[in-house]
Amino acid sequence: MSDDQPTDEDARTDGTGIVSPDDETPTWRERKERTTGLSRLTYEYFERSRREDQDLRQESDYVERDVLAFPTWPHELVRNLAITSFFVGMILFLGATLPPHLGQPANPSTTPAVILPDWYLYWSFGLLKLSALNPELAILGGQKLLADRTFGVLANVVVVGFIAIVPFLNKGSARRPVEQPFWASVGVMGVVFAFTISAYSAKTHLPLNPHLSFDLAFLIPPMAGAVAYAILKTMREGYMYDLNKRYYKLRPPK
Amino acid sequence: MADEFIKGLGMLTGGGLVWMIMAGWYRTPEFGHGQLISEVPSNLTMYDQMAVVLLEGAFWVAIIGALFFWIGLPLGREAYATYASN
Repeated sequence: MSDDQPTDEDARTDGTGIVSPDDETPTWRERKERTTGLSRLTYEYFERSRREDQDLRQESDYVERDVLAFPTWPHELVRNLAITSFFVGMILFLGATLPPHLGQPANPSTTPAVILPDWYLYWSFGLLKLSALNPELAILGGQKLLADRTFGVLANVVVVGFIAIVPFLNKGSARRPVEQPFWASVGVMGVVFAFTISAYSAKTHLPLNPHLSFDLAFLIPPMAGAVAYAILKTMREGYMYDLNKRYYKLRPPK
Repeated sequence: MADEFIKGLGMLTGGGLVWMIMAGWYRTPEFGHGQLISEVPSNLTMYDQMAVVLLEGAFWVAIIGALFFWIGLPLGREAYATYASN
């Protein structure tokens, strides 16, 4: 065998490998008739991208850079432009076709029947209703040290402050909840508390006793956190976890 | 399997989009209550009546299309596989 004939051990760079030459690129009909389907097509796409990347690196004027990704143009931008076009088109289509909702103008001289902020502020509104937690101090003769409204504002400061210091307590080196069950359960507790305190903010509209919904708002989150902790601790044991342990340790290159 | 899922989802979302727009035209006398599900008015021109047919059709395309591709087709294939193996 002459030296210019590549063996099977060598990487074939003449286009006869997994990447088809341009004149042998299958048509869309041929691609669709393949039974392997989308997985094969995806594989070929990435293999061709890898091959183009390799060709680029082997050019004489190529300068090595610390780039470990697909180039922004065309790969990322073509995809992003397609998605952007779809959503812009959908906004124009809906704006042109759906009838506009023009409600009655607000009446500043009457109080609305339902007083609630926008839904994404329910948690904060619920924290303003914690008057049951505001202690009546015996040293003040049963008086409260803070007005209930001040107490509610302080509760917001406490909760937002706790959320702000979590990134300093936990550096976020875990890639998936099973790696740090405690912090994952703290997160579950916070998310569940956001929902329960939001529900409590609309307590007059709930089909529950307000006292019960207040108790549930503080009882359900630790229970959900304990369940999450137990599940994650259990997931750390057994055959499947041992099997995946090396995968869990994988990190992207720095 | 993924192909059947996206076909069902496409019919559900596409039919739902057409239904939502046509219902906004013909079944939304006001936004306070009964939005999209109120009665269709009776004094309609021929074009409006055709649009109402499209409204009903899009609704059932969304429902039956999703049910067909997500439940009917897999069930049929399972039944055929069982029948063919016996």
